[in-house]
Amino acid sequence: MDDRKIQILLDSLLPLLKAGVAFTIPLSLVSFALGLLLAVLTALVRLSPWMIPKLIARFYVWVIRGTPLLVQLFIIFYGLPAVGIVLDPFIAATIGFTLSVGAYSSEIVRAAILSIHKGQWEAAFSVGMTRGQALRRVILPQAARVSVPPLSNSFISLVKDTSLAATITYMEMFKTAQQVAATTYEPLLVYSEAGVCYLLFCSVLSALQNYLEKRLDRYSAS
Amino acid sequence: MIEILDLHKSFGSLEVLKGVDLSLEHGKVLVIIGPSGSGKTTLLRCFNLLEIPDQGSVSLADVKINFTDAKRIDQKSMLALRRKTGMVFQSYNLFPHMTALGNVMEGQITVQKRTKEEARKRALALLDKVGLADKADSYPHQLSGGQQQRVAIARAMAVEPEVLLFDEPTSALDPELVGEVLKVIKQLAREGMTMVIVTHEMKFAADVADRIILMDDGLILEQGSPQEVLEHPRNPRALQFLNRLNGEDI
Repeated sequence: MDDRKIQILLDSLLPLLKAGVAFTIPLSLVSFALGLLLAVLTALVRLSPWMIPKLIARFYVWVIRGTPLLVQLFIIFYGLPAVGIVLDPFIAATIGFTLSVGAYSSEIVRAAILSIHKGQWEAAFSVGMTRGQALRRVILPQAARVSVPPLSNSFISLVKDTSLAATITYMEMFKTAQQVAATTYEPLLVYSEAGVCYLLFCSVLSALQNYLEKRLDRYSAS
Repeated sequence: MIEILDLHKSFGSLEVLKGVDLSLEHGKVLVIIGPSGSGKTTLLRCFNLLEIPDQGSVSLADVKINFTDAKRIDQKSMLALRRKTGMVFQSYNLFPHMTALGNVMEGQITVQKRTKEEARKRALALLDKVGLADKADSYPHQLSGGQQQRVAIARAMAVEPEVLLFDEPTSALDPELVGEVLKVIKQLAREGMTMVIVTHEMKFAADVADRIILMDDGLILEQGSPQEVLEHPRNPRALQFLNRLNGEDI
């Protein structure tokens, strides 16, 4: 590798990491937090006895899972202005990713809640708890433990999916790489470097998952 | 204090309770025995509405619930009834994410709105009573079955129920651990705790019961003092069940 290439790598590393920290990570964190909230809500509605809300929740999951994320982002950012709704790229991306995380993760949360033995509900009821209290104090804490690995999967997927936000002009890590590649004519080099940056971020997340699992493991028999 | 009238319960087309009446005074111990599938566990679970009866009524102290339209029961009276009962399950059902102490504090804090210090004090006293003061900080998976069941008894007692319900409390235990649990239950009986116990331990039943009910096929076959039911049953099917038990004992 010649000096010019090394220079390009070094020169682009800081802007890439900066874009990651300033754009990719905030977008991922905000979308995941909101998405998780939406996921828990959707899961609870789907497990509730209310027919109409249940249908709405199923419809939502069906639509989001059945259409490409890229198409959803384009509709939100390029489509909605046609009906007078103009969104800033960050807001548009956040809405798109939140809806996506909410739909996919609702199935994880639902499965985790269903995996808790019904004896736990009964024990909670037997000391006089309401459904809400049982859910909050007994069921969800145990379901959270079960859902850490699959939710970590979702989060890591999300971090990588945020590169799609480049297509709606959001200046995240991949968009930055595209610009560097365009000006230096070194696509192989720069896109590989961007890949390594994503790998770096996702490795930190994997380590975080390990830590979380160990912390929550103290009460499990296995 | 407890009165149950004409209780019916079906699961699909299977009628599990076919009209059960019973009553129990304060401070007494009622033991329910009978072959598997006789409806005794279902009957017990109707006391705190873990099963909702299809027909009949359950009353406990000042709460009375009539069951007509099965699914529509008043949430308030349901909670009120549950808050006057405590239950000990066959498989313990301790909350695995809480310590023994946490398990015994939980209902006091969430349901009775006691302060943490108050709940802790009471919980420690109850754990001491069941002989597990030194296990307060252990998680359920660190305890033996017998210890877990004793924590479960303390948890049920912690919310100060009017009556304690036991659903085959020793059936899941290794034989050598049964004694420590039965000892705690007997102690509670001596202290005048009102209890309803479903069990297969006949010797224990004879020991602890003020009254025994023998159920078969969704109905009460025999009821009376332990002596009346266990030694002088009138119904031939009751006799058959008891003989079979004795046969197995030998």
